[in-house]
Amino acid sequence: MPQRPYAPGSVTSGVHLPESPLALYYHIPFCQIRCTYCAFNTYTRLESLIPGYAEALIRETRLVAGSARRPAVTIYFGGGTPSLIPPRLIAPLLDACAEVFDLAPDVEITLEANPGTTDRAYLQELRAIGVNRLSVGMQSAHARELHLFARGHGVDEVRETVTLARAAGFENISLDLIYGVPQQTLDMWQTSLETALDIGPDHLSMYSLGLEDGTPMQRWVERGHLPAPDSDLAADMYEWADERLARAGFEQYEISNWARPGLACRHNLHYWRSLPYLGLGAGAHGYAGGKRTVTVLHPAHYIERIQQQPAPLPYPASAATDTIEPIDARQAMVETMMMGLRLVQEGVALSTFRAWFGRDLWEVYGAELDRLIAFGLVELPTADQVRLTPRGRLLGNHVFAEFIQE
Amino acid sequence: MNQSNIRNFSIIAHIDHGKSTLADRLLQLTGTISEREMQEQVLDSMELERERGVTIKASAVRMEYTAHDGQTYEMNLIDTPGHVDFSYEVSRALQACEGAILVVDSTQGIEAQTLANLYVALEQDLEILAVVNKIDLPAARPDDIAQEIEDLLGLDAADVIQVSAKTGIHVEQVLEAVVQHIPPPKGDLDAPPRALIFDSHYDPYKGVIAYVRVAEGVFKPNTTLRLMASGAVLEPIELGIFSPNMKPVQSLAAGEVGYIATGLKTVRECRVGDTVTIAQSGAVEPLPGYKHAKPMVFAGFYPSDNDDYDDLRDALEKLQLNDAALVYEPETSQALNFGFRVGFLGLFHMDIVQERLEREYDLDILATAPSVEYQVVLRSGEVIEITSPADLPDPSTIDEIREPWMSIEIFAPEEFIGPIMELVTKKRGEYLSMEYLDQTRVLLKYKIPLAEMIIDFYDRLKSTTRGYASLDYHFDEYRTENLVRLDVLVNKLPVDALAMIVHEDEAFHKGQRLVSRLKRTIPRQLFEVPIQAAVGKHVISRANVKALRKDVLAKCYGGDITRKKKLLEKQKKGKKRLKMIGNVEVPQEAFMAVLRLDDDD
Ligand SMILES: Nc1nc2c(ncn2[C@@H]2O[C@H](COP(=O)(O)OP(=O)(O)OP(=O)(O)O)[C@@H](O)[C@H]2O)c(=O)[nH]1
Ligand code: SF4
Ligand SMILES: [Mg+2]
Repeated sequence: MPQRPYAPGSVTSGVHLPESPLALYYHIPFCQIRCTYCAFNTYTRLESLIPGYAEALIRETRLVAGSARRPAVTIYFGGGTPSLIPPRLIAPLLDACAEVFDLAPDVEITLEANPGTTDRAYLQELRAIGVNRLSVGMQSAHARELHLFARGHGVDEVRETVTLARAAGFENISLDLIYGVPQQTLDMWQTSLETALDIGPDHLSMYSLGLEDGTPMQRWVERGHLPAPDSDLAADMYEWADERLARAGFEQYEISNWARPGLACRHNLHYWRSLPYLGLGAGAHGYAGGKRTVTVLHPAHYIERIQQQPAPLPYPASAATDTIEPIDARQAMVETMMMGLRLVQEGVALSTFRAWFGRDLWEVYGAELDRLIAFGLVELPTADQVRLTPRGRLLGNHVFAEFIQE
Repeated sequence: MNQSNIRNFSIIAHIDHGKSTLADRLLQLTGTISEREMQEQVLDSMELERERGVTIKASAVRMEYTAHDGQTYEMNLIDTPGHVDFSYEVSRALQACEGAILVVDSTQGIEAQTLANLYVALEQDLEILAVVNKIDLPAARPDDIAQEIEDLLGLDAADVIQVSAKTGIHVEQVLEAVVQHIPPPKGDLDAPPRALIFDSHYDPYKGVIAYVRVAEGVFKPNTTLRLMASGAVLEPIELGIFSPNMKPVQSLAAGEVGYIATGLKTVRECRVGDTVTIAQSGAVEPLPGYKHAKPMVFAGFYPSDNDDYDDLRDALEKLQLNDAALVYEPETSQALNFGFRVGFLGLFHMDIVQERLEREYDLDILATAPSVEYQVVLRSGEVIEITSPADLPDPSTIDEIREPWMSIEIFAPEEFIGPIMELVTKKRGEYLSMEYLDQTRVLLKYKIPLAEMIIDFYDRLKSTTRGYASLDYHFDEYRTENLVRLDVLVNKLPVDALAMIVHEDEAFHKGQRLVSRLKRTIPRQLFEVPIQAAVGKHVISRANVKALRKDVLAKCYGGDITRKKKLLEKQKKGKKRLKMIGNVEVPQEAFMAVLRLDDDD
């Protein structure tokens, strides 16, 4: 169990926020086509905004950071399709980060890439400007599924992207896969995962397909054009994959994430450990200084807001912040449980909980934990740790709901 | 007003034949309602009535009309509901009248409640004015229908007034006919005042408002009054009339219809059917009250949230003031805790009561499947009546079980005879007779167990006849039948609120359907849940709700937490409405599953 001995920091209504370095998230809300299951904040045919957007990101970074030069350990470009941004526009942003934040020497810099959007030169430049982790949206090895998703790439492009990235010097590459797809058989899923393993990633994220409101996929299922995903079959797929990945030398560290030893995504760990992060760019969410921020959704509005000359705002707000909400102790506790329990190995440390909230986990959630333990969904591997059981990993909603107040 | 210038009348008809629309025109012609206040079916003032386009409550309203003879008349009109479940409203309204306008839709002709309501009016010796309505419609056959009225009802076709309540054509003739043909009320103005309470409602400021028809004497404000049955003595807050809103008046005299705001806060003291008189040297004899409406259908009403029990009791008490046919008594269920067994005149009535409780009293109610009243003859010779299957005693102590049978009349075009026969037979019905009403329409008579009728019979009749059939029913007799109780066990625990009494021959079939229904209604839990249907110790059907394996949301990164928390909060709220049976969460719909056993799926 890794210890996280953070010194108590500022106090907001009973919460001792950890004095932790920051994670920086940049949202890139542009895509060439919209995938049929996607409900993210992203826009097609707005690529012309990219140069102005990249500039605005630099400006926002400086505005939020101020002169404090806070330490930061990870930078993550998520989307959308971050690989639509040319490295020459990313480089000045990374320079600005290095200037206004105290970046760790081993800073993890991830960029999400869609296969087919990156060529050899792109990847070489990207690596050269300091990006050291690539997350590639593979999703499936079956042309039919990729077509159903409207992904606009085949499995060959995935293999090619990874090969080129390796050649460019990327030593930390992740692949995303989707399972629990309508009409997908266990056999098809096995082929997808075997193909992914053959491509040779260092990290894998596997997401069961969720039907999000307003997506074509959701409509097709609702109207009966597609069968609803079968959750029992998805459970079989999950269990099979977990076992297969263990054999391939991957460790599961989060409900949907597996990595080779030592290569868990440090940026995402920050979220699950409820450590502070800044959300920059249109639609980004942040959590720092005890406050949750949400930025305006549309990139054009975002650019406009950032270009205005605002009065200095209290950290971590920027001119483009749409809502800023203080998170009180009660909410922070719920979130700590919901996020922390997703970390299937480390779970939530009782000592950390006590240090942050000044109360014992058992005192706050005794009845809930007793019930969850009785149902075999949660376990206590050590005296300082609660975490999900293998069964609890699949019944996460049931577990998290226990901590929600009515 | 001089008594000879008073006319008290109801409008009666089959459902939708246009009573409330005709009332609109009468209110307009007499200037009772200004053009600005006018809206369609203005007397259907309850939100539920407007939404569903049907009258649920009779409403009384006073109009003034200057007739062609130059005299001014006080016209007390009562618009009545047409649905068979509310015939009790009609019969009480008619007791406050000397005459009735019988409306017949000239595109439909005589239907089941046309006859049923006419008979009630005739029993009370009322003067009947027949009106055929909707003559503006292309499909109208006013002369044919007038002839039908003569042939079937024995009223002279030449006297039938042909109107369109929609356009208002010939409506004035109706008012003139009321003046000429409906007799004025009789009643000694000098006798001690007596009035019959024919309806009531609760007003938070004025207490119980009693709707009265004065039989004798004159009521004045500021006189202490006494209710003869309950013995309650009261100082009325005001006397008034409906025009159509409540409007205070200085007197209510023999023959008039109006209201007394009693100021009573305890609703038990003022019941429909009681007689109001003055406290000092008042009347000695009460007026004949009403025959109690006999409830046909019973269901358990439970507050979704157990904490609302007292509110539900309070609401039922107040609603009963405005719904004299409603009866209830406390009931407890292992599955649902504390609630009430409520009796209704039919399923539509049940539906309306539930909706009114939810809307007017802001309650969330779980209703169990409806049941009828059984007579159980015990080995000891004692006969007990039960309205809840859960109350059926141990079979070894039972000699026989009797169930209520109804005689029903169906009016329908002849091409539907076959499908109707089939439907009735499927419901254990017996054919009695058939007669032709005219060249194309027939009147079919059957006997059928009420228990079969309350489960979707009416809906099926409507759908098999594309809405062309109408139905009337009366209690016939109790018959001894081979009946057993079908128990339902969820996770091996019997659930009292799901038990049903069925014919032995159908126990197997119904048990299977019920189990498969419930299997689809009960959400998957963390463990496997067996559902069984059993008669006595004999399990006839079983199915398992498989344990839930996966519900987790795949992604939860920084931006997802707020949304995800909201989602879980919403789910948790929804769960509060589930009932716990043992450790199984059962949704409220499960308790109504019995009603949908015959759905094809
Ligand atoms: N065309 C036409 N439609 C009419 C006429 N009278 C009533 N209607 C329509 O028939 C429908 C039923 O009218 P209502 O007045 O609500 O009938 P009702 O007899 O009061 O119905 P219940 O109170 O539910 O029994 C409504 O849609 C009216 O608009 C008429 O003279 N002509
Ligand atoms: S690439 Fe990603 S963000 Fe873009 S549409 Fe597809 S799923 Fe959505
Ligand atoms: Mg009406």
